Amino acid sequence: MRGSMEAGTLLRGAIYWSFSSHSQRHLLQRARLRRDVLASSSNPQLQKSYQGPKPKRDLVPDWVSNNDSTARSLPIYVGGASLVAVLVNRAVSGIAPVADASSSQSRADLLALGLAVTSILTGLVWLTIKPKSISVVNPLGVECRMISSHLPDPLIAELLWAWESLSSVTCCRCLVVVYDGTCILQIGVAAESPDGEALAVDAARLTEGSVYQGVMKSGSQSYLANLSLYPGRSELPFLPSNTQAVILQPLGDKGIVIIGGDMIRGFTTADQAWITYLGEKLDTTIAKHTISGTPLKIQDRV
Amino acid sequence: MGSLSIGPLIQLGYSSCRLPSNRTRKPIAIRADGSPTSKDQQDQLNVSVLRFTFGIPGLDETYLPRWIGYGFGSLLLLNHFAGSDSSTTSAQLRTEGLGLSLAAFSVALPYFGRFLKGATRVDQVALPEGTQQIFVMSPTISDSEKEEFAWGSYVLLRNTNTVAVLISIQGELCVRGYWNVPYDNGTAKAPILDWFQRQIENIGLGDLKDVLYFPQVPGSELWEMLPNGTRSLLVVPVLQSRDGSGIEMIKNRGFVILASNMEYAYTEKDRAWIRAIANKFRVQLTVCPRLERFFGQFGPHLLMGGPARERQIYIIHSSRTSGRKLK
Repeated sequence: MRGSMEAGTLLRGAIYWSFSSHSQRHLLQRARLRRDVLASSSNPQLQKSYQGPKPKRDLVPDWVSNNDSTARSLPIYVGGASLVAVLVNRAVSGIAPVADASSSQSRADLLALGLAVTSILTGLVWLTIKPKSISVVNPLGVECRMISSHLPDPLIAELLWAWESLSSVTCCRCLVVVYDGTCILQIGVAAESPDGEALAVDAARLTEGSVYQGVMKSGSQSYLANLSLYPGRSELPFLPSNTQAVILQPLGDKGIVIIGGDMIRGFTTADQAWITYLGEKLDTTIAKHTISGTPLKIQDRV
Repeated sequence: MGSLSIGPLIQLGYSSCRLPSNRTRKPIAIRADGSPTSKDQQDQLNVSVLRFTFGIPGLDETYLPRWIGYGFGSLLLLNHFAGSDSSTTSAQLRTEGLGLSLAAFSVALPYFGRFLKGATRVDQVALPEGTQQIFVMSPTISDSEKEEFAWGSYVLLRNTNTVAVLISIQGELCVRGYWNVPYDNGTAKAPILDWFQRQIENIGLGDLKDVLYFPQVPGSELWEMLPNGTRSLLVVPVLQSRDGSGIEMIKNRGFVILASNMEYAYTEKDRAWIRAIANKFRVQLTVCPRLERFFGQFGPHLLMGGPARERQIYIIHSSRTSGRKLK
């Protein structure tokens, strides 16, 4: 039979072969065989493994990051202890307790006191800028994975990638994408409808509401850091009732991404910047793969 | 494609009040990006923050303990050698020892403070001198892959403290930013790409399995291709787990190299996001337009699976992917 999947010469660590059109069953068989060959031949001769310097563990940054509160109060303790030590030294050595700058002992004492006070003040500054630790609130609802099935595969893969990234990097627990009047993605934890299933997104009602209109008008991201204080909460009934923070990212002028998080002010400024770029990418991809008129309305519940 | 910038500085909005003159606390709201409506601004929690500042623009007060440490330490030494009229007593020696160790501690305080949560990075570092900005991609990639690489490199350069990015997926390269290339500005792309390919083979990154993060680049030059003034380096491999006859196999599909001219440039969150972007390239590998012909046979039902859905896609495509023409 026409065999045109040849393994060429091992040239600088690459295997060349050509691909001709067989029946797909032959394709699978040969590809499986080829993959096994490739796997077994990926020995050190094929690809040189990395032998450069490995990064060494940095003790100080690791310790400081892990023991944040201890590190913040450390200068205060050090400064306070040295303050006491200077005074004790002065008392024990039998020097008159008068801050007299004329003797060199007193000058040295004053300088040490000045340094101790600097240390204490730095510790106080660090304590005041300590970010408040906020606890995670588990969202109440049911798991949901709803994707519009008439979407092309690259778009589905990109939407799933967006969900995987957001859920693993940020405090995102639910993700809803509405485009062109239909909800094309609802993933994560959704509010529970009366019949026990996940509450579907009423895209028509959402697009007419003030939340959507406001975001579309401004054209930029809207971050609701504490959702319970926001009166427009009632327009997002599909999110779990105890969602803490929400980011509304517009997709061009036709769609919106709603990201629900489980911590008040859980999305940092870095997250917001990344989500903006993510939104632009999704908008480009959806616009590229959606031909106007294609029905996106049929949804498959998973 | 977009202008090259060092990357936005991550800053938390605080207001400062002058401590020497006026000790009033000004209640402020912590700014969030985006455009908050008036309702949001009323409803945000008010937090009062006291921060010491001289008010001189351009002067960074986080380094004040370091200057005080140096100044007072030198004064202590001056006092020891020039100030005493009689021999120094043991009490004075004790005090001076304590003072010098406190001075050393003060000098080190800004270094510790950099790693605390909520620390602002205000050090602006100049762009590398003498290196040129390039943007080349392998010519053998499809248009959709070109878009992915272009977007990925753009986002990485804009959103992190990166000056140079190199993406290599299955031998296809995308290089963007300031690299130390020994070619002139007007050279064709092919020799530049070959040069990068040789450099990568010499270093041997094809088999990488772990993330390499060098927050302080050892030595003056780690790799020849890095621009001058590189202080941090991050290499993220793009891995794909494949199920080959029952055995789970993790294969290296490529990697992403990021170089920055700041030390400790990539925080935990930055690295998590960079891993997510690297995953995007991995996803792009499997959903390639040429595979739609093959995939169409099974229909879209396969995607509506359980949590193992993505692995399913990879398993079906892996046999086909290995048949691609490798370069």
